[in-house]
Amino acid sequence: MGNTQNFDERLQYLFKEAFGVDRVDDTTSVDNVDDWDSMGHVALILALEREFGISISPIDAVDLTSIKKIRSYLGRKE
Amino acid sequence: MLDICGTVREAQSSGSWIAYKQAARKIRDGYNEEKIKFGNVVRAAFLGSFTIEPLIDYIVVEGASENVYIDAYLGGYDQYNQEILNPESGLYRFSPEITLLMVEPESIFTDNKTAPGPMAVEEASGRIIRLVDFFKKNSKGTIFLSTFPADPSWPLHPIDGEREIMVKDVNIRVRDIFSKDTNVRIFDLDRLAAYFGYRNALSPQMMHMARMPFSEGFLALLARAYTSHLKAYKGMTRKCLVLDCDNTLWGGVVGEDGIDEIKLGPDFPGREYIDLQKALLELFDQGVILAVNSRNNFEDTLKVFRDHPHMLLKEKHFASIQINWNDKPSNMIKIAEEINIGLDSMVFLDDSPTERDLMRRALPEVITMELPSNPDYFTRTLRESGHFGKFFLLDEDRKRSQDYASQRQRTELRKSSISMEDFLRGLDMTVTVRSAQLKDVHRIAQLFQRTNQFNLTTRRYTESEIKDMIESEKRRIYTLQVKDKYGDSGMVGVSIVEVSEEAWKIDSFLMSCRVIGRQIEYVLVDRILKDAEKNGIDRVDAGYIKTKKNALAERFWESNGFRSAGRDGDMLKWQVDTVSVKFRAFPYLRIVEE
Repeated sequence: MGNTQNFDERLQYLFKEAFGVDRVDDTTSVDNVDDWDSMGHVALILALEREFGISISPIDAVDLTSIKKIRSYLGRKE
Repeated sequence: MLDICGTVREAQSSGSWIAYKQAARKIRDGYNEEKIKFGNVVRAAFLGSFTIEPLIDYIVVEGASENVYIDAYLGGYDQYNQEILNPESGLYRFSPEITLLMVEPESIFTDNKTAPGPMAVEEASGRIIRLVDFFKKNSKGTIFLSTFPADPSWPLHPIDGEREIMVKDVNIRVRDIFSKDTNVRIFDLDRLAAYFGYRNALSPQMMHMARMPFSEGFLALLARAYTSHLKAYKGMTRKCLVLDCDNTLWGGVVGEDGIDEIKLGPDFPGREYIDLQKALLELFDQGVILAVNSRNNFEDTLKVFRDHPHMLLKEKHFASIQINWNDKPSNMIKIAEEINIGLDSMVFLDDSPTERDLMRRALPEVITMELPSNPDYFTRTLRESGHFGKFFLLDEDRKRSQDYASQRQRTELRKSSISMEDFLRGLDMTVTVRSAQLKDVHRIAQLFQRTNQFNLTTRRYTESEIKDMIESEKRRIYTLQVKDKYGDSGMVGVSIVEVSEEAWKIDSFLMSCRVIGRQIEYVLVDRILKDAEKNGIDRVDAGYIKTKKNALAERFWESNGFRSAGRDGDMLKWQVDTVSVKFRAFPYLRIVEE
């Protein structure tokens, strides 16, 4: 579970950097973050790739629209 | 007031779009809520065949790092045709000062039926030329026209090879047509992408996800290049580069190692400094004034300039040489006084972080360049800084640095002359006054941008405004050029006069301060007053608008026999009746009137 803890901190940091969101929780998604628009989404995907050292395929990329989905995706990737 | 330096630095060191995006948002909010003040605000429009938003995020941040707020108008995705062709479009309503037009080749080579070749080149360039011409009819602003990226792709791929050559041909044609156009500046994207490396500049992933061709790394360089172009266009570049010696111009410390042991020459280490000196000589040839500011023994150091076999920079290249044990900020002030330019026209190059830090804190107006610790990269850092960027080279640019360096000889003459008259006679000056012609537009605009001290009204006209005035019957533009026995200074003075039946009005009057104090400034006034009299004009009006920098010119109209005539806003008004003018004699000048 140490990894999950670590994910959360890094995700928290990313969301702060990307969208100025101070706290992310399970409900955080495209629907409730103002700046998470189509451009913001691309920037976020690039940032996730860099932060976690992964390559995200286009099909996965379009689906990563909430914290829950991102967390479970990263879990699968690990 | 909000400090955005930290935000900007964070984005720059991360380089990621997400960091730039966030920083750009803070900058926009800070500006809109009036929490951040900028030295300059530029209304800039961006038109492209791709999603332009990411580029704007980078540009807003890089602009802010140069103290410029980019008030951006974004054309819709691939809407550049409509924006330009519709006179009622958002673009024209925004009335931008600068419009960047950046189009991918795919968007302009739409007709796939046309085989690659001269016809296709003609057609594609014709399309872009028509767009620019239409823009010029509808906007007073300047267009930054991007060249097309001629993505080279992998060799052994003939179809791509043909396409690359075709795109390059279009670029050459477009560049040729607009290189002399005062409303157009070429933004050479193709050259920049090649410089960065096309394989790294273009990102297929970005293209597919965001419909924007560039990688994050290239976006950062692109934005820096845009800011450099903006600075060159707005005359925000610097005039003078001040150099440290030990470990900057050569490796090692001359006072300790001795002239034979310092690293400078064709072998490594030592070649890196030759490389830098070559780049500095290039800057000198482009009109950048050079000076030396070094804490060292004067004799040891001068000996390197005089006697070292591989030294490219010589005493004759420097307008001021300060080599002593004083602190460098004090030397800097001395250099500024000796050359007679402002500290805010100077850039300082020094390998020592301690000296840089000291200079930044003592004299923040001076740009102290951050240098990498490895001298191999000094030259690249200097080139990419954009402090001395230029779109094209004028004759005056080539003359300027030479002329400033000759100024040291003039100072010597002045010291050895027994009187002012003796000095002026010794200079053997020829002054030419003539009406401006269209070919003078660039130089006149440059004088308007750069002249601060001897500038009576400090109106900053753009090239297209000057072009209009040269062609107008209602204005006369006088130019003044000077040469003496030490060299040709080129065009150093200009005045714009509004002519009418009743009276003439001197709208602008300015002269490069390096020639002030040699009576030349009076020649130009005399000529204007004489012409007015010849044309049967009784009265000539003039004005003085005080700025932080032009105290030198405060009493100028008075010393020419003008009388005070009240004020008009910021402007002190002066006037003179042509009948009462006593024209001067200039026994030490040869005057040529054209």
